[in-house]
Amino acid sequence: MSLRYRAISWNPQKRRYDAVMAASSGLYLALFVGVSAFTNPNATIETLLIRAFGTAALLLLHVILLIGPLCRLQPRFLPLLYNRRHLGVTTFVMGLAHGGFALFQFHALGDTNPLVSLLISNRRFDSLANFPFQPLGFIALVILFLMAATSHDFWLKQLSPVMWKRLHMLVYAAYALLIAHVALGVLQAETNPLLAGVLAAGMIVVLTVHLLAAQREHAMDKQPFETGFVAVCALGEIPEKRARVISLNGERIAVFKHDGKLSALSNVCQHQNGPLGEGRIVDGCVTCPWHGYQYLPETGVSPPPFKERVATYRVKLIDGVVYVNPEPVGQDGILSYTPSV
Amino acid sequence: MNPTEDEPFYIGYQPQPPVGLRRWLRIVIVALLALAISTALLLAFTFRRLPLSVFEFGVEREYVGVIRAQPYPLLLIKRDDRLEQFWLVGSGKHAADVNAFVGQSVKLRGTLITRDGLRMLEINSSTIKRLNHASAEALPTESLGRFTFVGEIVDSKCYLGVMNPGHTKPHRECAVRCISGGVPPLFLAHDSQGQAIALQLADAQGEPLSKEVLDFVAEPIEITGEVSRQGEWLTLRANPDTYTRK
Ligand code: HEM
Ligand code: FES
Repeated sequence: MSLRYRAISWNPQKRRYDAVMAASSGLYLALFVGVSAFTNPNATIETLLIRAFGTAALLLLHVILLIGPLCRLQPRFLPLLYNRRHLGVTTFVMGLAHGGFALFQFHALGDTNPLVSLLISNRRFDSLANFPFQPLGFIALVILFLMAATSHDFWLKQLSPVMWKRLHMLVYAAYALLIAHVALGVLQAETNPLLAGVLAAGMIVVLTVHLLAAQREHAMDKQPFETGFVAVCALGEIPEKRARVISLNGERIAVFKHDGKLSALSNVCQHQNGPLGEGRIVDGCVTCPWHGYQYLPETGVSPPPFKERVATYRVKLIDGVVYVNPEPVGQDGILSYTPSV
Repeated sequence: MNPTEDEPFYIGYQPQPPVGLRRWLRIVIVALLALAISTALLLAFTFRRLPLSVFEFGVEREYVGVIRAQPYPLLLIKRDDRLEQFWLVGSGKHAADVNAFVGQSVKLRGTLITRDGLRMLEINSSTIKRLNHASAEALPTESLGRFTFVGEIVDSKCYLGVMNPGHTKPHRECAVRCISGGVPPLFLAHDSQGQAIALQLADAQGEPLSKEVLDFVAEPIEITGEVSRQGEWLTLRANPDTYTRK
């Protein structure tokens, strides 16, 4: 059995995911260009393609940014997260089409190398309204490229999850750069307030959903420092084959109940930091809700041939109350205490 | 965040999503398609409707006339006692290389670029053939006096039709490249009646301008200078160091 390769290779649900993604992107591009050809008959086709790809990429980026916090707020969105990587790669490809067309259209066939021209043609760094907006799009494109290029699990391993996560947090920098790219670029010429309104609405939605999700996480992490066993909840509060997530001394711990046993593991999946406590026990294993990585509840170790391991914690059950010791034990291979219920 | 009700659990690598999620997933898919459709339509209807400009891309015609430089290269064609005037530019973001032909009658092939009655030809200098007949045609220059305008510097080639939109902020870098490559700079302003006018820019001596104006392109600029008329065209003469940003 090769669980990890099952998790990252092609499978029917990924194909469906990609089909929906391709259909909606294709529909977007075709509609934008097709309808603009009538509503804006004098615009050149290059302009329409540049706009279609640019706006499609930015719309997709909004969807990508929303998936994470939406899943924290409502687990039913998790199917969108499963193959988010392909959304990211598609965003990059559309951004590249937009940037590539723009680079050719506005900078090629001239007296200067197009990439140099991109960086030096506008020198009005001293003015907001005239600020060079194209280099902002270029930097964002470079970030999207780095993320797309390292999105495969191979790079997650090569770079180490911490570095990888840091690199992929740059998506927020790319987003900010692109907002500036549009606000200081096309919105300086397009006067219809609806366009600025659409951009602002997108920002407000992204910000609100992030704040709501962050608020929930924050409320959970506000516990005081504890030593020794800490009462966490009544046994009845944990549903069968599922977990309750608690925060002890800054660490999130998932306490699973399954087949008359209790076990406590780190809530942080070794793959991409997915919240294990929002997963289930499937086939006797703790199963991550993001991409389905699995861990044995007793040891925190992935079933062979995999070697991922998360920390485990000691658990006690006294008078129907579950206690957890925030001192991790699983890392050195000691079994967690698993009282029969 | 802690599960309370019995939610279906999605595992991507299983062949099918759990039964309890399928209806929801159909709703999500429809919502995503609706987002794509509505955003595409909304944006297609809200971008500014652009005015007509023409670039007969791929269509080359033969033109016979006299090449002059006033101060930028142009072709004068005599038709029924009237002189028609076309700026001449090269391919891409380059000037037309016609120095060897100034003052001569020629036959050449070019692609028409036109907007609001102003005309330009994109030519390949290697198609220019000298003709042996006399060529006296020249544009008379009529001085109109000293004026102040507020307007925008654009590159004539894109503005007249090669790109649309071919001016304002999003087009700034392209206009810089074109003017730097020798495409004549045009100044879009308004006359005292509020009519839109376009003037070709020259320095105070009437010589062509190129790199000197790059930092003033595609933003509101005030220029005071001597205006003259050459046939259908206006020229504004002023040194770029007297241009001011508005
Ligand atoms: C080399 C990189 C890039 C260059 C040279 C570039 C250039 C441009 C230019 C010239 C415009 C104005 C086009 C017009 O007249 O309508 C524009 C607009 C825009 N760009 Fe970019 N861009 C780049 C990267 C990106 C990326 C990576 C994205 C998104 C992922 C993006 C999103 C947009 C959007 C949404 C607009 C407004 C719609 C439009 O006018 O096309 N750009 N960009
Ligand atoms: S499986 Fe990817 S984060 Fe857990």
